[in-house]
Amino acid sequence: MKKKLRDFIFQELVFVADPEAFADDDDLLEAGLDSMGIMRLIMFIENEYGITLPDTEIEPDNVRSFNALEQWISRHQNG
Amino acid sequence: MSRSKPDILEPLNPADSFTLAMDEEIRKDGLAGSYGCFALDLSDTPDTVALQQRITEFSQRFPVALASLTQIGRRFYWCRRNDPPQLFFQHHCPKDQNESDFRHSTLDRIINDKRDRESVAPIEFHLLTGPSSHTFFTRWIHPFCDARGADLILKYLCTADEAQRQKFGLPETKPLVYVQLRKYRWWQKIGLFWKAKTYIEKLDRLESILPFQDNELPQRLNYKIYTLSEGQTDRIVKQTRQHVGLTGTSLYYIGCLMRSLEKMQPDRAGDAYCAPYAFNLRKQRALSPMTGNHVCALFAQAPRAIVADRQALFTHLKQQNAEVIRKQLDYAFLPLMWAGSWLSLKKYGETLRLSYGSGKERSSFWFSDIGRLDIPAASFPGAEIKGLFHVCQVTSPPALALLSCIFDNRLILSYNFVEPLGNSEYIEKLHRIMLAELLGESQ
Repeated sequence: MKKKLRDFIFQELVFVADPEAFADDDDLLEAGLDSMGIMRLIMFIENEYGITLPDTEIEPDNVRSFNALEQWISRHQNG
Repeated sequence: MSRSKPDILEPLNPADSFTLAMDEEIRKDGLAGSYGCFALDLSDTPDTVALQQRITEFSQRFPVALASLTQIGRRFYWCRRNDPPQLFFQHHCPKDQNESDFRHSTLDRIINDKRDRESVAPIEFHLLTGPSSHTFFTRWIHPFCDARGADLILKYLCTADEAQRQKFGLPETKPLVYVQLRKYRWWQKIGLFWKAKTYIEKLDRLESILPFQDNELPQRLNYKIYTLSEGQTDRIVKQTRQHVGLTGTSLYYIGCLMRSLEKMQPDRAGDAYCAPYAFNLRKQRALSPMTGNHVCALFAQAPRAIVADRQALFTHLKQQNAEVIRKQLDYAFLPLMWAGSWLSLKKYGETLRLSYGSGKERSSFWFSDIGRLDIPAASFPGAEIKGLFHVCQVTSPPALALLSCIFDNRLILSYNFVEPLGNSEYIEKLHRIMLAELLGESQ
């Protein structure tokens, strides 16, 4: 899951000089993920994983890192 | 007599052509053209030698900065000139002139400078100095770059380390409009084209409310800048988060302006407010592309009845935005822009501005938010950046553009308006209402 998220974010939304060095816990918001990017990311996740992420859960804590994103998606896949 | 063949540096991409059509429309209104401007307020007189050296280096690395916009057939190209234009200008306040008047009149002259688009330099840098105020002012003509590109150029000039400066413009990439378009097969592009056309036709079922009467001829662009305090900015960020969440910062500003305009003039004709806003195809924090426009358009539209209800308005704008992205209507404008770039400027301009239904202006106002600017205050050569603002020319109608950004944790609102359709008193009143809206103090 993280690889798909990484590919999407680094190919479409945010530039980092060395994606390999970007850890799963590093801060995506600090790295430049902005409101439009988050919107696109959510649409990507919903299409890719066939889930609906509620508006009320679009919080910094859920999108701040790859680990956070994975946990958020997993909660909805398992729910 | 034979004319020498133009030395083409690069053709305009479809997003550049989109801005060129707007340049033509602005010029048709009798105004200077589609200029974008950034102003940096500096603490001191900067190191002009370093500045000149970096500007020269920039123009050598990105020679399109010295090019001339040339029409060949129906298309436009950046072509090399025999005599490269001057890019860096210094203006000193005369001893007998009030410094504030000097600054205002000089910036006014630069912003409203009417010159052929073939002769104007794609970008110019102006340094205004006086006993106590120092301003570094960048003005570009819009086919040359978008606001994010101008931000990158400023960062380039603010980068002291030469090795770091070499990283700008890399990796080299084709215009991002083409990069995105190549992701679709031809039948998908046709599908997107029709989707975008149908979407615009749907928007056009409602006549847009315009901010000003257009019974006077446009004469010049003026602007008013409001830099909010850190406390106010913090409250607005919290209000934004509360009303539109993490994903709709621009929508909060747009919604607040719609409500402010409605409060200013509830009796204006029209059915809905409609605001185009560009979204950038660049990756955040990328150092390339430096030049060219890499944007596509979105629209926020809200019928008058919804604008009256603050919470309903933000819910509506957010749902509209999510729907647009879910249906890929954002990217749907790319094939439309590509097709438009083959139209004459006159026809393209009409298509971009006039609604199919009423034949009147589609935009109630222009809007652009460039978010948080992360140029370090101490990075300018020989001086500190104390504040900044940006300005843009706009067509008449709507004769009003709101630009926003956050610098040093302070929200900066730039109201750009065409006189005499709009005037300073109107904008001051509009801002008072807007501030209450942004702070969540109105109902």
